[in-house]
This record gives sequence, C-alpha cells and structure tokens, in this order.
Amino acid sequence: MSVSPHITSPYGAHRTVGAVESYPRFLWRSLGVATDGNWLFYGWMTLLTAIALVGANAWAVQVRDGMIVTNMSDHVSWGLYIANFTFGVGLAAGGVMMVIPAYLYDDEEMHELVIIGEAVAVAAILMSTLSVVVDLGRPDRFWHLIPGIGKFNWPMSMLTWDILVLNGYLAINLHIVGYLLYMRYLGRKPNPRWYVPFVFLSIIWAISIHTVTAFLYCGLGGRPFWNTALLAPRFLASAFVSGPAFILLVLRALRSTTNWEWSPRPAQTLIQIIRVAMAANLLMLFSELFTLFYTGSGHAAAARYLFFGSHGATGLVPWIWTAVTLNLVGTALFCMPHALERGSVRIAACIMCIIGIWIEKGMGLVVPGFIPSTLHEIVEYSPSPTEWKVTAGIWAFSMLVLTVLIKLIAAVHSRRLHSTAPHLP
Amino acid sequence: MTPTSITSWGFIAAVCLMLGCQRSESSGGQSPLVVAAESAAAKRHPVVIRKPPVPQGVPTATLDPHGKPVSLQCSACHRVRAANATTAQSTDLDEFHQGLKFAHGQLTCISCHDANDNYSSLRLADGRSLPFTDSMRLCAQCHGTQFRDYQHGSHGGMTGHWDLTRGGRERNHCLHCHDAHAPKYPTFTPVAAPRDRFRPVVSSGVSHE
Amino acid sequence: MSSGQPLPSLPILDQEPTGRRGFLKACGATLGLAAWATALKPLTEWAQDVSVEEFLQKHYRELKPDEKQAVFRRLEADCKQDHGVDVTISDPQAIPGVQFAYALNLSICIGCRKCAEACHIENNHDRATNNSYIRVFEMVMGGIDFEKGDATYDHPVPQPGKFYMPVQCQQCENPPCVTACPIEATWQEKDGIVVVDYNWCIGCRYCEAACPYHARRFNWEAPQIPAEEINPDQGYLSNRIRPQGVMEKCTFCLHRTREGKMPACLEACPTGARVFGNILDPHSEIRWVVENKRTFVLKEELGTKPRFYYFFDE
Repeated sequence: MSVSPHITSPYGAHRTVGAVESYPRFLWRSLGVATDGNWLFYGWMTLLTAIALVGANAWAVQVRDGMIVTNMSDHVSWGLYIANFTFGVGLAAGGVMMVIPAYLYDDEEMHELVIIGEAVAVAAILMSTLSVVVDLGRPDRFWHLIPGIGKFNWPMSMLTWDILVLNGYLAINLHIVGYLLYMRYLGRKPNPRWYVPFVFLSIIWAISIHTVTAFLYCGLGGRPFWNTALLAPRFLASAFVSGPAFILLVLRALRSTTNWEWSPRPAQTLIQIIRVAMAANLLMLFSELFTLFYTGSGHAAAARYLFFGSHGATGLVPWIWTAVTLNLVGTALFCMPHALERGSVRIAACIMCIIGIWIEKGMGLVVPGFIPSTLHEIVEYSPSPTEWKVTAGIWAFSMLVLTVLIKLIAAVHSRRLHSTAPHLP
Repeated sequence: MTPTSITSWGFIAAVCLMLGCQRSESSGGQSPLVVAAESAAAKRHPVVIRKPPVPQGVPTATLDPHGKPVSLQCSACHRVRAANATTAQSTDLDEFHQGLKFAHGQLTCISCHDANDNYSSLRLADGRSLPFTDSMRLCAQCHGTQFRDYQHGSHGGMTGHWDLTRGGRERNHCLHCHDAHAPKYPTFTPVAAPRDRFRPVVSSGVSHE
Repeated sequence: MSSGQPLPSLPILDQEPTGRRGFLKACGATLGLAAWATALKPLTEWAQDVSVEEFLQKHYRELKPDEKQAVFRRLEADCKQDHGVDVTISDPQAIPGVQFAYALNLSICIGCRKCAEACHIENNHDRATNNSYIRVFEMVMGGIDFEKGDATYDHPVPQPGKFYMPVQCQQCENPPCVTACPIEATWQEKDGIVVVDYNWCIGCRYCEAACPYHARRFNWEAPQIPAEEINPDQGYLSNRIRPQGVMEKCTFCLHRTREGKMPACLEACPTGARVFGNILDPHSEIRWVVENKRTFVLKEELGTKPRFYYFFDE
C-alpha cells in the first residue's frame, strides 16, 4: 500500500512500514507511552497539571481584570514574567552545551545524550514563549506579531529579532529531537545529512538567542544598568552554567527512574563546562560592579539599590545576596571533585547554581533596570500572588512537556517504543 | 463736515495708526486691547489681554448694606494733603492704607503713584502720568526682560490658539499674577500628587519621614 | 495486535490487556479537559467585551477612509454603551509645514501641578490613579539632579531653595520607544508627535522600558471615569478612552493642537511657563525661545533629540 523504506530495521522487522503511514502511528504510540507509567509518574504528572491549572486560571483572571493584578507599575513595567523569560532563554541556550562537545569535538559518548539537551531546550523555549505571552496586556492581539498578517517592525525592533530567533530555535530543536527519535523508533541509523547541519546551526543559533535577548536590554540607552556591552557575554556565560546544571538534574532523574545506563564521562564534561562558565560569569559580574562602583557615577544608582538598598528601600537586597551566596557556594562545590561524587552534593550544587542564576538574571537584572526609574524615582517591586501562580504554572507546564519528551526518549532508547516492538506492556 | 467731526475722524485715524504699528502684543491702555491686528497676508485673529484689576479707590472702615467696605476716591484725601516723597511703607502712615503690605524693592509710594494727579493715576519714571488701566507700561520700565519675554509669549498665562490664523488668544496681564505692592508670586497648595499604586520612596534632600 | 491495520488506532484503545487502564486514561483525559476549561473560564467572560470587528481591526495606517469612519462610529457606539456618553471621535491630520515643539521656563514654573491636572481632565485619564502624562518634580536648586527630585511633594509651593520641573513626553525626533515597538503600534507623525494606535498595541511594554523620560503609561486596568466628567471631544490617536492593557502617552493634545489650539497643559499654566508652537514658523514664540534663550534638553547625551526644551531666565 505504500513505498517500503530502503533500509529495513536491523532489529528484525516483521513488516515494513511506509513513512507516511508510520509517522502518525509513531505519534499515536508516543502518546500512549507518554500517558503510561507507574504511580510515581502519575503523581508527578498530576501535581504538574494541578500547578499548571492554577497558573492558567490566574492568567485568565489577569486577562479579564487587567494587569492590575500583578505588582508591576509604570515605574517597574517588567517583573517576574520577563525575569523568567530571560532565564528560560538562557536555559534553552544552555541545552546545546551538550551538543558542542558531542559534535565539535566528536565526543562519541555524548551523542547518546545530545537528544536530552535538545529536549531541555525545547521545554525551555516553551517556557520563555509562555512567559512573554502572559506578560502581554492584550494577548488577543497576538496575531499582530505574525509577519505578513500583522505588522512586524523588523529589523528595527530587537523584540522582533527575539521572536524570530526563538521560534527558529524551537523549530530546529524540534526537528532534531523528532528526527532522531523517529529514526531510532524505526530502528534506522539517522542520516547525518538530515540532522548534523541542523545541530551545527543550533549551536550558532543558541548563541544568537541569548545574545539577542541581551540586546533587548543593553540596547536601551535610557537604562544605564542594562546599557553595557558585557551583558550578552554575561548572559552566555551564565547560560553555560544553568543549562548543563539543569541537564545534570535531568540525567539524575533518568537514572533513578529508568534503567538507562551510561558512562559517567558526559556528566564530567558538563561539570567542567559549568566550572569554567561560572568562573567567567562571576569574573564579568565583578568587572561590571567594579566599573560601576569605582567610578561612582550616577549609573551606579541601580547597582547600589540592588546590593545595598537606597534611601531606605531594600527590596532587592535579600534577593541578590541570596543569588551571590548560592552562586559562590555552588561554584565551590563544583570545584570539589570528591564531594561531587556524592549524588546529593551534585544535586545541591546544580540546584544552587540554577536558583542563583535565575535570581541573577531576573530579580537581579531585569527588575533593577527599572529601579531607580529613568527619572530617578525609587518604586519597589515584589511579585504579586498572581505573578507567582502564573510563573509556577508556566514552569509546571514546561516540566510536563519535558517529562513527556524525556519519557519518549527513554522509551525509544529502551526500545519499548519501536516500530516493531509489541504494544505497550 | 463739521470741524468736530474732522477732529474725531483724525483721532480715530491716529488710534488706528498706533494700533497698526504695534505688531505684536503690547501694553496699550485700552482693555480689552486688540493688539495683533489683521495682517495683509493671512487673516490673523486678535490676541486680547485680559482686563487687569484696577483700583476702585481706597476701602474705609464703613461697611455698605452688603457688608463690603465703602471706598473713597484717592483724591478725596490726597487733594488736601501734601505728598511725602519718602514714604515707603504703610507703617509710615497715620491713617489709611494701614493693612497694605508692601514688598517691592526700594520703591516709595510716589515711585509709581502720581502725586500731581492726587494719586488718581500712575506715574512713569520720566514724570509722565499714566492711567491705571495702562499699568503694564509702568511695570515694563523696570522689568524689561520680563516684558520682552511676555511680548514673545514666554511669560504669563494664556489660552486660545497657537495658530492665530485659526483663532484668537487671550493673555493674562501682569497684575493677574503679581500684586503691584508685593509682586512675588504667592505660595499656595498644589494640585494633588499622582496616586501611584506604589508610592516612590522620597529621595529628595529634604527628609519627609 | 494492531499489526496490519491501515490506520493507527488510538493507543488507549488498542491494548486488550490494559483495557481498564485505557478506560482510566480516557477518564483522566476528560477530567483534565474539563479542568482546563474551568481554569480558563475567566477568558470567556472577558472575550464577550471584544467584538469580532475590534479583534480583526487593521492597523490605523492601513485603514481606508471608509474603514476609518466605521471604526470611529463603532468606538463612539461602544462609548455610549459602556459609559452612556455621546462622544465624537475625530482624526485631525498633521498640518503641512508644521513641526510642533514645546518649551518650558523653569524660572517661572511654580510647581502647582495645574498642567498635570489639566492633562488628567483633557485626556480622559483614570480617576482613581489621578493619572497624568505630566509628572512635576520638585528639584533642589543648584543642579538638575533628579536623584534629589521628588514628584510626590504635598506642601505649599514654591518652596525656597527648590525649583520645579514638569516632565512629559519629549516627542523625540529619534524616539527609542518607536524603535522598540515590535509591531509598529507607535510611530512618529509628520508634525513630530509620537502616537499610539490603542487598537493595535499588544501591551508588551517594551516602549515603556525604552523611554528615557518615564513618558509612557500602561492601562493596568480599564480606566474609570464618571460619565459627567468624560471629555467628549476625542481624537482617535489621542485622548479617547483607552482600552485595558495598552500603552498610552502624551500627544501634545493633537486633537486640539492640530486644530490650531494650545495644548491643555499650556492653557492651565498660570504663570505662562509653557511655550508651544510651530518651530518651522520663524515668527513663532517657540522659535523665539529656542533662538534667544539658553535652552537645554533632557538627557541630550542619549541622542533622542527631544522637541521639548527647558530654559531658565537670565
């Protein structure tokens, strides 16, 4: 009924399947695998769904009643949502950290795990996109952003660049993940022509998404705290920490929930990346602060408010010192190979770095850009319950997607999901 | 044509000429005063200076049936009294003007009030008499920069049109904002501040805590 | 086994050994969908206020004349329905040969906030927040240091040792807000005024982050104005009542100034600190100020080229 593929499965196919017929079948069966698991899995998915529902409801109320339900104001016009967006883009860029050693340096052992980094990137891009959508005052006018139908202020507006690169990155990573999974599912060796160019493209693209996101901020002359050429390199360096740290956590979770065995070398490579990147990140942060504080110009006002408070207002001081502490302790742990042998220490170090960078890029970078305001008024900001709910919902939904992706990857890897495999147990 | 009518026509013509010469707003005596007359090119609407407050005599302690003080003409007293050239404050006086606050540099009463006219008019620095309605010229002789700014529309409140080909404009007189005896702009309570959802931390030099 | 079936069947149905599980999954999926529908219910309440015409409305600059008229009539009808007030939506165009500019004499500004109040009334601002496009700063004499400024003062003015600095949109010749906007919802008109199409803006607030003068305002909720206080003379690009969730800004009262009138803030100024006009007219007051006074612009170093000048008397 359909054309047989030229390469038949080395796993002993008892039938050949045409691509046209088999791809939808692959998707259907993926759905089956994705919704199947033990009680721990169901518990986890139910929990994530519940949080996502709370977030969705909070967002719907926000759309109905206006952004007055957030604690943003005309002085601090971006808050937790855009903070989370910035972190998400970093995480997505960090997802390709596994790709670089795997392909640039031909690290064969990494090849197995590249797909996990790509899956993290997909989920992180989803998180970033959702974070922007919930920040819109008029999400119903989303179509105005679609090139061709709406009005796209390209190339002038950096936001249009961001939309392009984020969507492009999502497409590239979805293609790589989908292709590799599907080939494995068919039991065929992936054709390098169909994914290696995209992998290299995704490496360049990963750098570009975070650079463009930094340019969103550093291109604004009226905001001296952001208006620094170091922002893009700092963003990249911190992304090279949060991404691999997150992937390490995913690997941990995979190890404890599946019987997927792999060598410890990829994890070691990631830890090395984290060490170097964190050192570079902290150096750049220090260099930035030195320039601000030593010259003592008016440009230091935001940094002064952030680190020490200003005119009795100290809203961000606990945040930033928490971030500094977590980053320093996390980095110290990553520099102690023996301690890192213990799983709990490794998890703690990863979590510390992730939270530290989440704060550093969000509450420690996006928010102080607005405090003091362009006319030097100090209006403080702390997220409202709605903002926390919506942000938690976005995290939960993205984790849900990531869980499904990882589950599929694991199922394909263990050949539970295979074109020739019997149906689910 | 009678000689009378010829004289009056001549007077009107002179007034017209005078008005025609004054290109932009000036301190003419009539109120409301039409200053920007029609130009040859485009029809320009007038710029009118709002009528300044003109003193209606001096209030006395006697009240009328409405409870307002009865005013006396300046000349009622000053016709029979000799002017004291050095008087500069109401406290120097024995009668009348007792409550008058005076804070206008080193001036004395007769710097601006015309004693020769029994104080019923104003007096320019060169001694010429000036009706109260023409007070802007009196102000202008010392406050030249302010008057220049006024003439160029950068001093003194106004309403109406920026584009005089589309409509006219009304302007305040000096006396709408400045009391001639104490010209410093008064202090008053401002309109309420914006009610920001999150009040800015006051960072001014003055402590508000 | 589904082997040989022409089409893939539902994975939850094609497994005999786990029929119970499949049933549970179906139940779970149904429950989940119901839960999502419930969670997002407020969206449907909100969507009732957004008509199809409003949703599909094109960008202002792409509307044909008859389409524009239809939009204005619709907005007038909406205002009648929502507020019970008859308003007129006008759309005055930039006057050829006119570039607006504004100057403010800091020597005679007394900080009375009458300008901010006039703006509040003229531009149909939300009453609860006392919103205004003008923010007046009480500054310490001896420098132009906003760090020592205070916009929330509440004592008699003018105070000794202080001067007052109203700040509003500077109508930059090189506006960073316009560059920032991803969808061209804000642009510069031929007479120099930067406007917002309130029906095109998606409310991302990037322009608010980009503006160095705190000139833009966001409608955090739908503005509330008592019917009797609504200014019925409304411009599509200026003072019409803004929808929830969009940006707004000072337009130099273009619905007035494009008819030759003064902006509301200038008319309210008791001291005449404000000077407005056509900078291209060599005989205009604004031209005289710029040519003869030592004017300065805010944050000149940013290269925004404001059309709003400040000056002190000598």
